[in-house]
Amino acid sequence: MHDVTAAQRIASTVLHAAHERQARRVEQISIALGAMTMIDPDQLTFWLEQVLRGTVAEGAEIEIEQLPLIVRCTRCDSESEVAVPDDPIYHLMPFAPACPACGCEEIEIVGGDACVVRSMRITEASDDE
Amino acid sequence: MTDANAPDQGRDIIIDVDLSKRTSELADRNLDLLDAHGVTAIDVLGSVGSGKTTLIKGLVRHLKDRYSIAVIAGDITTRIDADRIEEEGVPVLQIQTGGACHLDGEIVRRALERLDLDSIDLLIIENVGNLICPAAFPIGTHTRLLLLSVTEGPYMAVKHPVMVRQADVAVINKADLADAMEVDVAKLSDDVRSVHPGIKVVTTAARFDEGIDDLIEALGLSGDCCCAGGCCDA
Ligand SMILES: Nc1nc2c(ncn2[C@@H]2O[C@H](COP(=O)(O)OP(=O)(O)O)[C@@H](O)[C@H]2O)c(=O)[nH]1
Ligand SMILES: [Mg+2]
Ligand SMILES: [Zn+2]
Repeated sequence: MHDVTAAQRIASTVLHAAHERQARRVEQISIALGAMTMIDPDQLTFWLEQVLRGTVAEGAEIEIEQLPLIVRCTRCDSESEVAVPDDPIYHLMPFAPACPACGCEEIEIVGGDACVVRSMRITEASDDE
Repeated sequence: MTDANAPDQGRDIIIDVDLSKRTSELADRNLDLLDAHGVTAIDVLGSVGSGKTTLIKGLVRHLKDRYSIAVIAGDITTRIDADRIEEEGVPVLQIQTGGACHLDGEIVRRALERLDLDSIDLLIIENVGNLICPAAFPIGTHTRLLLLSVTEGPYMAVKHPVMVRQADVAVINKADLADAMEVDVAKLSDDVRSVHPGIKVVTTAARFDEGIDDLIEALGLSGDCCCAGGCCDA
C-alpha cells in the first residue's frame, strides 16, 4: 500500500467514525503500522495532516506505533522477527522475507503486515450549542 | 450523549479497522457481485507497453461470437486504449485513475455500477501498467492474467515474485522479437514456473494474433466447457 492511499483510507475511516458519534473535534488518532507495509511513519503523518485539513480532525495529534515483521517458518517451525530493509527503491525490487533460522523463503507472515486504525479521542457535540 | 460527559472532555473511541483487510473485503464484494450476475472477470496485468491492449483486442476478436464481452480499461490518463478496444465492437469503460498506479476494489466497484452486468458474461479489465503496486490491490476477479514481454528483458519473472505468485495464467508476449532481444522464451517460462509452481504459461505474439487460442484454452474459455470458465477447472 502507498502512504497517500493509506492516509486517505485512514482519514475516511476516522471521519466516518467521528460522524457516527457526532464528534465536534477529533483530538487524537492512534495507528498501528506494520513494518511490512513499508510505509514511512513520517510520510504517513504528513499526508494524513494534508487530507484531514478542513475536517473535524484537522490538527489531530497523530500517534503511530510501529510493529515489527514476524514470520513463521513452515520448514523449521520457528517464529522470528525479521528486519525490513529501509529501502527507498522497494518499488523496483520487492522485499522477500526469509527465515533467519534456516534461510528458506517458505514462510508465513504472522505479524507486521497490517495498518490498523486503532482508536481516536474525540470531543463530542454539546447539547447547548 | 449523557450529561455525565462534560462537553469539552475528550472521549476515547475504539475503531480497530485493518486497512489491508478492507482492501481484500472490497475485492471479495466485487467478486460476489460478479458471481450474482454470472459474469466471469479477468484482471490483465503487465508493464506499460507489454501488449495488454493488443492482447485484449485479440481475445475479444476470438471470443466475441461466443461471449457477451465488456472491457474496463484502467489508465492514469487518456482514453486511447478504450478507443482501440472499442474498434472490436464491444462496450469499453475507461477508468482514469488520475495518477494512481493501480486499480483498487473501490474504483472497480464504481465501474461495475456503471455496467449492465446482466447483459455481460465475460469482463476483461486492463489494469494500470505496473507490476508492483497492483499486487497489493486485488480488485475481485476470477483470474489474474500476467503479461510479460520479451522486450522487457530476461529477468521480469524473478524481479516480480509477488505478482507472479498471484497470477493464475502468465503470458510471454512478443515472441516474434525473442531472437532480436536475445531472450530465451523457454528459460523465461521456466523462471515463471519456478517462482509459481503450477501456473499456466502461454507464449504469444499478440500483434500477429499468434497463441491467442492457446491462451483462451489456458483461461478455460475454449468453449468445450459448459460454463464461461468460472464453474469448473477444465
Ligand atoms: N512485435 C510485437 N509487438 C507487439 C506485440 N504485442 C504488442 N506489440 C506492440 O507493443 C506496443 C504496445 O502495445 P500495447 O498493447 O499498447 O501495450 P500496453 O501498454 O501493455 O497496453 C504496440 O506498439 C503494439 O503493437 C507482439 O506480440 N509483437
Ligand atoms: Mg494499454
Ligand atoms: Zn526456517
